[in-house]
Amino acid sequence: MPAPHELASPLRNVGIVGVPPLEVIRRLNRDQVRIYDLDEPLVQSALETTAPFVPRVYCAVLRTVVQNALQLDLDAIFVDVGPGKCDSAGHIATILADVLGIPIIRTINEDQTGFGTPICDSGLPLLEKLQRITAGVACAAPPAKIPPPCPPTAAFWGVPPRDFSILRLFPDTTHVYGWTRCMENKTPADERLEGRYNPTIPTVFFAQSFCAKTALAQFLANRHPHALYLDADVAASNSTKAKIQAFLELSGVPL
Amino acid sequence: MMLGDFGTSYSKFLDLDDPGAPPYVVETKNLPQSTRVAWATGHNGQRRGDHFVNELTALGRGGAAVIDEEHFVLLDCGSRDIKFIEFKKNRLEDMGWNAECGASMGFTIELLEKYYDLDYTTLAVPEKTFSVTCGVLGMSHIFDAVVAGVPVAVAVAMFVKGIALNAYRFAKSPKKLYLSGGLCDNPLFVQSLPCQVIPLGRFLLLEGLKQAMCNNLRKSA
Repeated sequence: MPAPHELASPLRNVGIVGVPPLEVIRRLNRDQVRIYDLDEPLVQSALETTAPFVPRVYCAVLRTVVQNALQLDLDAIFVDVGPGKCDSAGHIATILADVLGIPIIRTINEDQTGFGTPICDSGLPLLEKLQRITAGVACAAPPAKIPPPCPPTAAFWGVPPRDFSILRLFPDTTHVYGWTRCMENKTPADERLEGRYNPTIPTVFFAQSFCAKTALAQFLANRHPHALYLDADVAASNSTKAKIQAFLELSGVPL
Repeated sequence: MMLGDFGTSYSKFLDLDDPGAPPYVVETKNLPQSTRVAWATGHNGQRRGDHFVNELTALGRGGAAVIDEEHFVLLDCGSRDIKFIEFKKNRLEDMGWNAECGASMGFTIELLEKYYDLDYTTLAVPEKTFSVTCGVLGMSHIFDAVVAGVPVAVAVAMFVKGIALNAYRFAKSPKKLYLSGGLCDNPLFVQSLPCQVIPLGRFLLLEGLKQAMCNNLRKSA
């Protein structure tokens, strides 16, 4: 894996997929390279523009990666293909290397130094929690301001959803678990942390449709005494949103 | 104060200011655009009510209020979708809402009755069934069967039984099933379900809506 400074030309704009190792992010930050998190919707084009390259029935996050990569003017893309992301990211790296004329650098993030999870356990609105955590991927330094913790009344377990609108349905007292917690901790390959949950509070176990993590989400939901397993594709349907609302309300979670 | 369950084909109303008055049904297509209520649920409820409660919540609240059991499975079969809710030890255990693969089941059953001029109260439950997961896609089975010489009434009954079995499996195949929604009034559908069935009628969501409203008022008091 070439380090950023070993690439032929200096980098100005790069994309990242998943959570590349902290060392990579640190170098990019030091060289003041602009980082685009390609897992998030960044461009206006239709997702359908990815159909010639990726099947329509595929993880919406990785389709979004291709959508962004096709539209943005990038100098290189760092794709984490280690245990902290998924096998599918490796296939996407292969496709992007074929389609784009820029370096596609595969990384394997096995960072084990935990940065802590104060945002996951805070009383910030859930949407803001996930916005801060996903934004933190592009920064090697811990957040400047640490929000205070709050006692939980509900929990969201899973990856950051393609459609953030579902996060508005949860109360601010929702704690965050799963891979999103690993993201904040900057240890995306920490399976032990990913599998952790709080059995005392109603928990929504979420995964993107067609993602391998659906199996883990459903497995953990079956073990949790009070859980809802949920998957959603590109945009959450009304019935998906209704399930979350009904689960929280009928579980007695103050909203 | 009016409560309204604005379904795809039928809208149901309950006037709380008239305690003796029973709930009533209006075909949604005949509903004036101006119709509004204080509390609404159903597919079309969001734009019709001052307050909105989603159907799953209304189903859960209605079931918990009406069913005197700690553990129950309640399935609601509407015109456009199916949804179920399961309670264990008086606590929410599981739920599901199938608006895609269960699409248009109730609507298609009614459409077929009218088109072929059938009466579901007179049709026997057939031994065989079609494998049906969706009302729209399932209709091709009927057409194929009729072309192959199966009487229309038998083909439609096989279709209805297929839909009932699909809905039953969606609700996780319980031994005892509480049923709500318009299909409670369809004996062929009810008898096609392979378990003990307790029909609760088509007004259960209104009861759930009432419970949700009372709950909300208690909280604000």
